[in-house]
Amino acid sequence: MTLLRLNNITRRFPLGSPLYGPRKYLVAVDGVSLDVEMGRTTGIVGESGCGKSTTGRIALGLEPPDSGGVLFQGLPLPRIDSKKWRAQRRQMQLVFQDTLAALDRRMTVSALIAEPLAIHGIGDPASRKQRVAELLHGVGLGEGHGMLYPHQLSGGQRQRVVLARALAPKPSLLVCDEPVSALDLSVQAQIVNLLMDLQQELGLGLLFISHDLRVVRHVSDRIVVMYLGRVVEQGRADAIIDQPAHPYTQALVSAMPRLPGGFDHYVALPGEPPSPTDRPCGCPFHPRCPLARDVCRQSLPELLPLGPERQVACHLVRH
Amino acid sequence: MLHKSFHNSAGAALLPAHGIGASATKPAISIAGLRVAFGDVPVLHGVDLAVNKGEALGIVGESGCGKSVTWRAVLGLLPKSAEIGGEARIGDLDLVGARQSVLDRVRGGRIAMIFQDPASALNPVHRIGAQITEALRLHRGLSGAAARAEACRLLDQVGIAAAASRLNAYPHELSGGQNQRVMIAIALAGRPELLIADEPTTALDATVQAQILLLLKDIQRDTGMALVMISHDLAAVAAVCDRACVMYAGQIVETAPKHTLLTAPEHPYTRDLIGAIPPSHGPRMRLTAIAGAPPQRNLSPGCAYAPRCRHAIAVCRTSRPEPRQVAARHSVRCLRLDAGTYQ
Ligand SMILES: Nc1ncnc2c1ncn2[C@@H]1O[C@H](COP(=O)(O)OP(=O)(O)OP(=O)(O)O)[C@@H](O)[C@H]1O
Ligand SMILES: Nc1ncnc2c1ncn2[C@@H]1O[C@H](COP(=O)(O)OP(=O)(O)OP(=O)(O)O)[C@@H](O)[C@H]1O
Ligand code: SF4
Ligand SMILES: [Mg+2]
Ligand SMILES: [Mg+2]
Repeated sequence: MTLLRLNNITRRFPLGSPLYGPRKYLVAVDGVSLDVEMGRTTGIVGESGCGKSTTGRIALGLEPPDSGGVLFQGLPLPRIDSKKWRAQRRQMQLVFQDTLAALDRRMTVSALIAEPLAIHGIGDPASRKQRVAELLHGVGLGEGHGMLYPHQLSGGQRQRVVLARALAPKPSLLVCDEPVSALDLSVQAQIVNLLMDLQQELGLGLLFISHDLRVVRHVSDRIVVMYLGRVVEQGRADAIIDQPAHPYTQALVSAMPRLPGGFDHYVALPGEPPSPTDRPCGCPFHPRCPLARDVCRQSLPELLPLGPERQVACHLVRH
Repeated sequence: MLHKSFHNSAGAALLPAHGIGASATKPAISIAGLRVAFGDVPVLHGVDLAVNKGEALGIVGESGCGKSVTWRAVLGLLPKSAEIGGEARIGDLDLVGARQSVLDRVRGGRIAMIFQDPASALNPVHRIGAQITEALRLHRGLSGAAARAEACRLLDQVGIAAAASRLNAYPHELSGGQNQRVMIAIALAGRPELLIADEPTTALDATVQAQILLLLKDIQRDTGMALVMISHDLAAVAAVCDRACVMYAGQIVETAPKHTLLTAPEHPYTRDLIGAIPPSHGPRMRLTAIAGAPPQRNLSPGCAYAPRCRHAIAVCRTSRPEPRQVAARHSVRCLRLDAGTYQ
């Protein structure tokens, strides 16, 4: 069943001052549609600034889209800060990279995990205490950790606390924005395993955002590849990695260092990642695309189906 | 000269074990018994390693294991509060304890270094052309039109298009990847025998990361300089290097040719580290999650990895393993390997 659906979401930010000349906009997210199924993971991958975090925030209703809609369990998200929205927020939680910023330094771990329970008015103090102990255990921390403050924990332990806090109100959707990017590899593996175990156990839907295609491939059932605010390809994770159809996906896949070979099949992209303030016309990827033709410079390719489970936005892909 | 670098008190027995013993080439640098402490906290516990001329050597390990401190100590870039022991020889010259004037000449000359964050390493108020020609003046005595022509050639070599017109650009006008290319050009200005690249691509996007790594590899091959690539990503190191050292808590725990290290690692930490990387292809297997975290400071009397190691036995907690040569260029620091009981 579809837990979350983004329908043609667009988000623009005004550039510069409104007083001078016609207003210019940075289009951070441009017509993005995607689904997260219950108990499954949809991964979003793409380079810095392509709109991954903005998409995640819109999915949670933390930021309104300028156009398009968000459906959660089949219903439109209520207006931000309305009573209904706050009730719904229980169901959808955010986990992000910067754990020190996410956690109040003056609160103990136990208090931090209990806080969302209090905010959502879940249980009484005694049952909350019980739930905090369960959650600590669930994310692999001991009761002893409950007494500590965030700065007394390692990065991996802090990420566990953030996870426990997100899980406290028993959400059905977690949006994870670069949840392991700041962690050491050995600790990253702990958190990735934990996340996958918790998902199995609790039937969570995950929207997993990362710039690291290896991690995204590992956790995701479906992968959405973004470039300059647009979805250029999406489909089943294995299909995307094993047979990428879009030239950008092909380059991303080839830029994944492989063990033991390194970059044996590297497809070099000319030029540099573009800036969203300066979007090329036609296909946004054409200035770096090794295959670009005239049509690519002139018209924007639509995201069209390629087989039953995949969509690609490229003029040269035969749909 | 070669023998001289072997005969030192601290590293005499250890150096051959770390890979130069079997090879006849003269090392570009040989480090022996390198120790660093900040106050009373030791962070390097005797690093022994030699980089052969013309080879690409990778140094991998997790945050805080001492990758950067090793090379900063060698180049005299640590703060005064650091206590440094051991030696680091290039030819007859020992860089540990060398005078500042000597180090100034070596740095950017015979040995160049590039860092993770190019934007902070470049001077924001100077045009990149001026920064490259300054390096050419300092290390090669070039000036005027000759320096400008050489700067142009260097930018071209590092893959910056329309090099001549880019000389006038300021760092903020270039992307992160282009700035890293400029850093590489500055590093190459002194025609170094050895280039040390400390996490050169960590801050860059995936596609640019691959470009820069392959560029470094090409330059190393074309110029015959030695390259040391520091990274926490074993896969990135594998893409560039011929040989790699794995560091853990201030020591090198395994050194081997790349292929051996990846396909037949012996140290439990190396094995676990490889298992922790999500594979880029093939079936998706559960990752190896190493319990706990790397030690903040390792003061235990035993093997530094013992608290996290799945193969640890009682002796691992009480005595320190020495490097042991298991094959021609393959050395491992593990007690269970010594006893022959581990696998
Ligand atoms: N509140 C804002 N005001 C103005 N511009 C914004 C705002 N939030 C995001 N942007 C811009 O929108 C674009 C997309 O940003 P976003 O954070 O979604 O990218 P991202 O894919 O998450 O990148 P990263 O990998 O660096 O986290 C960027 O160019 C960013 O500068
Ligand atoms: N100036 C300093 N004063 C005190 N301790 C330091 C200093 N520089 C480094 N250290 C400590 O030395 C140890 C090794 O640090 P180093 O920077 O070499 O790690 P690294 O392997 O390069 O890690 P990373 O991957 O995070 O760059 C760390 O525990 C670090 O905290
Ligand atoms: S549409 Fe054209 S430019 Fe865009 S990815 Fe396809 S081939 Fe490349
Ligand atoms: Mg982001
Ligand atoms: Mg470092």
